[in-house]
Amino acid sequence: MSTENPYAQYHVVKTGDTLSKIAEEYYGDKMLYPKIFEANKDVLQDPNKIKPGQKLRIP
Amino acid sequence: MRFANVFVALAATTVMLIGCASQKEPAEKAMAQAESSLAEFRADAEKYAADELAKVDASINKLKNSLASKDYSMVVKAAPSLNSTIASLKQSVAAKKADADAMMAAAQAEWTDLSAKVPQMVEAIQSRVDTLGKSRKLPANLDKATFETVKTNFETMKTEWTDASAQFASGQADAAVRKAREVKAKGDEILSKLGMTPA
Repeated sequence: MSTENPYAQYHVVKTGDTLSKIAEEYYGDKMLYPKIFEANKDVLQDPNKIKPGQKLRIP
Repeated sequence: MRFANVFVALAATTVMLIGCASQKEPAEKAMAQAESSLAEFRADAEKYAADELAKVDASINKLKNSLASKDYSMVVKAAPSLNSTIASLKQSVAAKKADADAMMAAAQAEWTDLSAKVPQMVEAIQSRVDTLGKSRKLPANLDKATFETVKTNFETMKTEWTDASAQFASGQADAAVRKAREVKAKGDEILSKLGMTPA
């Protein structure tokens, strides 16, 4: 349901990105990376394995 | 000679009375027709052209008084003009009703769009505000004061959206759409302050 929200924000993974780094960029706190992982469980199996080019929803 | 004068006077009175009586039925018929024509669209006239309707009602009442005082010729004479006024009022009411219906349809369409977008906007903002509320530090593009303003404006936005929804539910589509536009504008501003650019 939320993946179709036109106001949802997305982040396209770049080389060197980690979920912690992305969490810090959007939330200011790297410890909030599980939020991003939970929101992208349909494309991520492991929070430590993200690939460049992946489009992640930032809740 | 005197007899002749009396005869002429009696004859004239008789002719007048017969003429007057012969106008009674057409006068009553004309009044009934006018009232019946107006009754067909009275409800719409009250809604869309109350002032014009009041004028027509005044004309009808005047003719009713004429009818009651047996001034049938006056009623018959005035009936065509009254019918013409009623026909013109009918056209005016139909045009105003068509305009109102078109405005209502446009408001309903805009509401359908806004009522899909605004809750999605609220959901996206709520999620971010909740997450940022748990953050030990805010992101680089957001200072504490701005975040506090965002939270306050977001609460207002939600309240106003509830108000707009209530207005729409109570049939005030136009007012609901005006408020919903303001709510969406507020949401756009909040999204911008949070750095949540559209996907």
